[in-house]
Amino acid sequence: MENVLSILFCLSLLYLALTSRVKHCVNVLQAQGIILAVINTLPLFHHFTLGEIILPAALLGIKGVLIPFYIRKIITDLDIKDPIEPTIQQFTFIMLVITLMSAVFVASGILAKSTEINIIPFASGFSAIITGILVIIFRKKLLVHVMGFLAMENGIFLFGSAIAFKLPVIIELGMLLDIFVVVFLMGIALNKISTTLSGFEAAQLRRLKD
Amino acid sequence: MALMNIFEGLASLFFVLLFAPLFAGLVNKQKAMMTGRVGAPVWQPYYDLFKLFRKETIRAKSASFISGLSPAINFAAVIIAASMLPVCNAHPLISFKGDIILFAYILGTARFFQILAAMDIGSSFEGMGASREASFAIFVEPIFFFTLGSIAFITGFTSISDIYRSIAMDRMSYTVFIVVCSISFFILAVTECSRMPVDDPNTHLELTMIHEVMILDNSGQDLFFYQYSGNIKLLIYIVLETAFYYPLGAGLTAVGVTIFALNILFVSFVLAGVETVTSRFKLKDMPHYLLFAAAIGILNLLIFTFNK
Amino acid sequence: MAIIFSLTGLILASGAACWFVKDLKAQYFISLFAAGAHLLFSFALFTGICAPQLAFLSLDPLSRLFLIVVSNVYFWVVLVSYQYLKQSTAKGSGKKYYFIFLNVYLLANSAAILSNNFAMYWVVSEMTTLSVAPLIYYLRDEESLEAMWKYLFLVSVGIAAVFIGIIFLALSATGTVVEGKQLFFTDFIRHAALLNPVWLKASFIFIFVGMSTKIGIAPMHSADVDATSTSPGPIAALMSGSLRVTALVGLMRILQIVRGTSVYEFARFIMIIGGLLSIFTAFVFIFRVRNYKRLFAYSSVEHLGLIVLGVATGGLAFIGAMYHIVYNSINKVVIFFCAGSINQKYGTVDSEKVSSLLENMPWTGWIFMFSFLAISAVPPFGIFFSELKVFEGMLFSNRPWVLFAVLFFMLFIFINMGRVVLQMLYKKDENSKVVKERERVNITHAVSLILLVMLIALALFTPNVLKSTIIDIAKDFGAAS
Repeated sequence: MENVLSILFCLSLLYLALTSRVKHCVNVLQAQGIILAVINTLPLFHHFTLGEIILPAALLGIKGVLIPFYIRKIITDLDIKDPIEPTIQQFTFIMLVITLMSAVFVASGILAKSTEINIIPFASGFSAIITGILVIIFRKKLLVHVMGFLAMENGIFLFGSAIAFKLPVIIELGMLLDIFVVVFLMGIALNKISTTLSGFEAAQLRRLKD
Repeated sequence: MALMNIFEGLASLFFVLLFAPLFAGLVNKQKAMMTGRVGAPVWQPYYDLFKLFRKETIRAKSASFISGLSPAINFAAVIIAASMLPVCNAHPLISFKGDIILFAYILGTARFFQILAAMDIGSSFEGMGASREASFAIFVEPIFFFTLGSIAFITGFTSISDIYRSIAMDRMSYTVFIVVCSISFFILAVTECSRMPVDDPNTHLELTMIHEVMILDNSGQDLFFYQYSGNIKLLIYIVLETAFYYPLGAGLTAVGVTIFALNILFVSFVLAGVETVTSRFKLKDMPHYLLFAAAIGILNLLIFTFNK
Repeated sequence: MAIIFSLTGLILASGAACWFVKDLKAQYFISLFAAGAHLLFSFALFTGICAPQLAFLSLDPLSRLFLIVVSNVYFWVVLVSYQYLKQSTAKGSGKKYYFIFLNVYLLANSAAILSNNFAMYWVVSEMTTLSVAPLIYYLRDEESLEAMWKYLFLVSVGIAAVFIGIIFLALSATGTVVEGKQLFFTDFIRHAALLNPVWLKASFIFIFVGMSTKIGIAPMHSADVDATSTSPGPIAALMSGSLRVTALVGLMRILQIVRGTSVYEFARFIMIIGGLLSIFTAFVFIFRVRNYKRLFAYSSVEHLGLIVLGVATGGLAFIGAMYHIVYNSINKVVIFFCAGSINQKYGTVDSEKVSSLLENMPWTGWIFMFSFLAISAVPPFGIFFSELKVFEGMLFSNRPWVLFAVLFFMLFIFINMGRVVLQMLYKKDENSKVVKERERVNITHAVSLILLVMLIALALFTPNVLKSTIIDIAKDFGAAS
């Protein structure tokens, strides 16, 4: 089941790389958040403890509801328009994503021979990290950079769930809170950028250099 | 037993040839109803084809022998492809190891001749359509090989009917794999048959047309062949699409045939639905869309390879 | 144990009080009280007067040294903050949130340094970024906005990379005793030899690259330089003097784990490349930088690069690097205080437009000159002795060529920095529009003088407790026997 959800997660990544609509990106992120929450709920079916439901609930609350809601609010407030423009040819971009994703899968297949890892969630998570970085590098809109960052964080969470180590709930909650505050601060900064620099594209940030 | 197989094959071929226009009509009718129109009756494609068949064939003065050859080759190629189909899990007429390659390239030949014929006349519009058709074909082929090919790769079968026979939805991950394959195959079918998000079959603006613009100068029996083979091609792809779900119970029994028919009806409904809700993509976005389908195929192959 | 909880409570309370109390002066005194208490606590911890025992906290010599460095910088920064805020003409809500975020910053930094758990370190170290980002945006202008965005973004991505490294570290433990345990440093260090070297190597790379966005090691230094150069003087001092030190803790911890394994040589090599690249970057950029705050930000890149080099070289260089951390953070505080004052007076960060500093601002000017001499490793300031140790260690290591590269780069860095600084101090500019008035001595000058004296005193009469702590750290890292 975890594998199935990870495949869905991977598909959502492809869509994130492909789409040129800002709103669709948010939907993808929301879907990813929900998938993560469900993945983290799965172990509870075998062994239910009240303490462990906090994490999936928080994941759902923050990644599935709060952050998408906040980003949608930013989109409406700042009136950010489609399309998402890439700095390189969209075609090259997608090819890059596909190639790197394939490389990740092949690499994790090789790595799985020496270490016990759950390949599909592992590789999906890593693909998300790479897609996120590529989105950050090759997109013009700053808001999309934030979404790339979030995809990357989602990937890290998925990645972590592929590995058998347990963190205290309080630390996991701390991570979620950190991510939310980062997005919150970035949202405020975007707001300021749109008023003082009148634009939300990376090209506007050219003041600081030597 | 061999005789029985031949009989099944002939019946399948006959089925495809007979019902191809009906399917097209069905999709058009549903589409019309979804957009709130009454629409032409489902038999309309038959009337159209019959009308075209009776009409006189006029060819351009500049046309060479290729223009005359192309419709027939198209039709023949499509019929050969149709005879390789595992309709309702029956034994196809033509089936041998590696026929998946033949299937892909016999349809490729059909397209090749259509493109040649379109350029043969020398009209600039048709040349444009031909170039578009050719460039999309580049992106379409990987989708075909990554979806069907990945199943072939996993099971080790190389014949279309064997590949589809080997599909079994016994494991959860395998089911997901098949569903994902069918999605990317659907995109392939839509592209190959020039349906909505890629090409609008009803458009009459030459600048935006892709497939339709290539047959602008054809008339009479030439056009009949083109249209008829277009309908057959659509049904071929739809049958291949539904074939992913044969494990749901399709087979050569009364229940199996009903399930098969329902399957086809459902796909026609989906196709009509997709055509209703989507608008045509910009030409420059098309490769991305097709690449997306190819990416799904690649991803699928990777995931399944490492999940075994 | 109780003391840690009460201190945490105190800092939290002081942050909360700053939220509710609107008066800037009251906020200042509350924060100063918290800072003082924190300094006292760190001092007690450092000298061993109090030694609480907590499983999730690490109180080894490394943490103790770094904590006192950070606490010391923080205390002086808070001390001068009120005077800076009073003179500052910044618009907007910068002042309102200043002390709140400072308190959060202190809490996050101490937690990061004292944490004994990689995941906890990750969480709080992200929190340090979050608390410092609004402080960078204090001036509420376009440059600081851009700097804040870049810093927040790059460092967040870097921290994400660190988390990947942490996951790899957890992976490297599969099949050993540590597997499935929570990620305690101490467990990992004890069982380092059992870890899977491939994953450990990957983990080191990710943590090094991720942390270097925060430490400011080239090629990930750009956001750090931007942020340091656009933030107000005290915040720049805070970033240069303490935030980078906190970030260094993460690197030191992973190095401590790697040390007992076959990956150590590889890790050292990577760190030496990073360090050399940082010094080289500073060397290249310092030729063309005209913004004096940027100049010192690059100087930070250079010195952190030197520290990383020293740590990687080991032996005497390691000990030198530890001293260098202490001295450099004190020295940077003085420099950025001066830069902040100059910026307030002249209203520009362009060094060409600053002239006759010694005449216009004699106090600041002289302190500026001495702090420049100190950072350029002129005796008897501390940096001289620590750099000497680092260089000596390098010379007798197996890579003496590193020393020659470093010396070559640092010579030019010194010349270029000297050119800019002396120009600012002595150049006469007739059409300068700066109001000529007698500079009054204020608290910033007093603090700067205290720090300069401290820099000399620490070097000439090094307290035994500092010496022994650094020797203990070196023992933990196998750099001294």
